[in-house]
Amino acid sequence: MNALAEQFTLHGVGSIFLYTNEAHPGENFPHLTSMTQKFEHARALRDVLGVNRPILVDALDGACHRAYGSMPNMTWIFNRAGSPVYKSDWTDHNSVRNALAYFIDVMQRRRGRERLVPFRVERLDYRTSDPDGFQAGLARSGPKAVREFKESGL
Amino acid sequence: MNNSDLLTAYNYDEFTQAKVLPWLNFDNSPPLGEPAPDFPLWQLDGVATTLGEIWRQNQLTVVEFGSFT
Repeated sequence: MNALAEQFTLHGVGSIFLYTNEAHPGENFPHLTSMTQKFEHARALRDVLGVNRPILVDALDGACHRAYGSMPNMTWIFNRAGSPVYKSDWTDHNSVRNALAYFIDVMQRRRGRERLVPFRVERLDYRTSDPDGFQAGLARSGPKAVREFKESGL
Repeated sequence: MNNSDLLTAYNYDEFTQAKVLPWLNFDNSPPLGEPAPDFPLWQLDGVATTLGEIWRQNQLTVVEFGSFT
């Protein structure tokens, strides 16, 4: 997603990461109990995992996250007027790239005086399954996160 | 649910179906093409902003939600 942000910034696309709750709390990254801790975890996202997009932090009660559906790693795209034009219950860079390319084409067609009206579409996208990467993420949080996911049945 | 209970439940201390699944509510999230709700957010240096201030800065804004874990 970092590379995608850099690729599209010249097309008037901004990108942020919005820090929520800990999906898999563990010994190294336990559940959040204060904003101070939430800022610390958010900085680790930048310093350890290398997220170089601007990171914004939600309120401790997750007001924003909850209003948008509380999925652990979802992506939304907003237009300048504040209307969402894309929402995905999981983040996949290929899906986001595809959507951005489409919306940039729409903007170019509008600049060409083409008359366009919106409509809604639903589509099932596909992401690469990476169980090893997922387990590595759990391990970074700690053995507790690994164990609880295994026991959760999810 | 009072604020203290909300903070504890949202920031669940263990990953179990009972604690996680009730929060997953994507099907009832804001619709596409209509003004979306705005919320206060904070930069890493603690400076306050809003989601609206963010989306007004560009033609399009990608917002990835997530955490370290």
